[in-house]
Amino acid sequence: MIRRIVAIIIKEFRHIMRDWQTLMIILLMPVLMMFLYGYALTMDLVEVPVIIVDPAMSDEVRTISGGIDATTLFNVIGIERRSDDPVALLKKHHAKLLVRFGPAFAKDLRSESGGADVQVLIDGADANTGTILRNAIGPMITKAALDILKLDMPKAITVHPRVLYNPQQRSALYFVPGLMAIILLMISAMLTSLTITREKELGTLEQLFVSPLKPREIIIGKILPYLLIAAIDGVLIMIVGRYFFGITIAGNAVLLAGASAIYIFTSLAMGLFISTAASNQQSAMMIVLPVTMLPTIILSGFIFPISSMPAVLQYITYVVPATYFLEIIRGIVLKGVGFAILMKPIVVLLAIGLLLVIVSIKRFRVKL
Amino acid sequence: MKPIETNALTKKFGYYTAVDKISVSVEKGEIFGFLGANGAGKTTAIRMLCGLLVPSGGSGTVAGFDIMRQSDKIRSRIGYMSQKFSLYSDIDVIDNLKLYGSIYGLHGYLLNNRIKEMSGFLEMGSLLQRKTGDLPWGWQQRLSLACANLHKPQILFLDEPTGSVDPVSRRIFWDFIIELASGGTTIFITTHHMDEAEYCHRISIMVNGRIADVDTPFALKKKTGSDSLQDAFIKIVEPQN
Repeated sequence: MIRRIVAIIIKEFRHIMRDWQTLMIILLMPVLMMFLYGYALTMDLVEVPVIIVDPAMSDEVRTISGGIDATTLFNVIGIERRSDDPVALLKKHHAKLLVRFGPAFAKDLRSESGGADVQVLIDGADANTGTILRNAIGPMITKAALDILKLDMPKAITVHPRVLYNPQQRSALYFVPGLMAIILLMISAMLTSLTITREKELGTLEQLFVSPLKPREIIIGKILPYLLIAAIDGVLIMIVGRYFFGITIAGNAVLLAGASAIYIFTSLAMGLFISTAASNQQSAMMIVLPVTMLPTIILSGFIFPISSMPAVLQYITYVVPATYFLEIIRGIVLKGVGFAILMKPIVVLLAIGLLLVIVSIKRFRVKL
Repeated sequence: MKPIETNALTKKFGYYTAVDKISVSVEKGEIFGFLGANGAGKTTAIRMLCGLLVPSGGSGTVAGFDIMRQSDKIRSRIGYMSQKFSLYSDIDVIDNLKLYGSIYGLHGYLLNNRIKEMSGFLEMGSLLQRKTGDLPWGWQQRLSLACANLHKPQILFLDEPTGSVDPVSRRIFWDFIIELASGGTTIFITTHHMDEAEYCHRISIMVNGRIADVDTPFALKKKTGSDSLQDAFIKIVEPQN
């Protein structure tokens, strides 16, 4: 049995070495994807365009708008005197936010009785951005106005927040490990599903089926070489993550490597399972993309928190392997948690992979 | 124990009956020709005997083992060459030979010896380091035969092995097959070349999934009053269509 598996492994490596162009694509594509999507994947808002309306053109408003402009969050693109239709003004300048001061703002600011009113219009089409802008702009104006009056913030309560694990709240720290999970899954599932459907197309699998080879020997012989290739991919994207996105591993790197190997195994097993259903390489690709990518992006907690999903969808997330790997990789990379806490997701991941391999072995011969 | 024996072996695909209750019995060391028009069910029959397809009815034994339940035991005792080239084109000739040798449990000295022996018989010793896909078709078919025969199977199933192969390669091919048969290997072969069918000890002619006749080439010609096997074949096949 071992000799036959080794024979298959040697053959697979010969295929891989003979086709070095494909090997280059396999090794470079994940790196390219990291660059392409890593930089796109950010929820950090910077330099949001802001319009200020001040009929009086007062010094006070000029000071306040200077304060707003000085932040990385906002960029004041203009101060307007007239605003018959503020919504039209917002649209015209492609601004996300408009701050409208009254004609008597400077006087109202200093009046004993009332205080000044400031209107803020926010483009809320993107709910998350709208919320962030709304929460940020109010205190910013208040603070700037109090500075003008040389007053301190009222000090009934002072809250001292301390953000753990990702103190600068850079979304890259959260998203890039997720991106790694997606890339690894896609590459791995594609490798196994294509290698087996290619043999179906060429008819070479039939020749293996009339030999004494058992389905499990073929499948193990197919998984092992690609486990190595996908592991090299894993190392490459970790290097890109480290040097281009500043992802340092807070926890144990060996634990991360081991867990990643299990995740790659499960991903290869998914590709294997798909290849038992697909009769050629094209249909394998057609199945791999929706079956692996969409659930991984939408249902794994990569972007959308699982806890916010309806109960039914939450159950579905339990069968998406990336759900567990995200828990593992974010746990190790960001929080530095150890094996004791991550044992459950690691075991589940391994169990899903083994189950898929066993089912694939059972289905393998039947589906020729 | 007969090397191949079937009893009313049947294969249906939905409502279509590809192989309809065929019963054959092949002797040890016999070259058994399996003739028939395209679509007559020859390949389906071979695939059932090799364990690639599960029969819908009837029974059969190959090398003394039941094709329904013991296909694992059958696989290590047979060699199979399909009508489509099914070795790996992107690796070297020697790599294909080593792969198939290892799959059939050969290794080390024995494996190298067999490879030398096979490539000698099939006159392909000079090609071992070439990329398989670069070989001309006739050489690829010789390589397929070598791979199917490395483990010295008791029975060789050859499904149209010489379709569109050059005369020289065919000659070498048949010399080798006749040599194997005289050494006790049973050969089960399909072909469309009537001159090749003449080499067979017995021929079965398949029409629409059934066996229309089985006999020696000489007897078939005599029965139908034909000069050539080609005429005999047409006389047997035509009335049934």
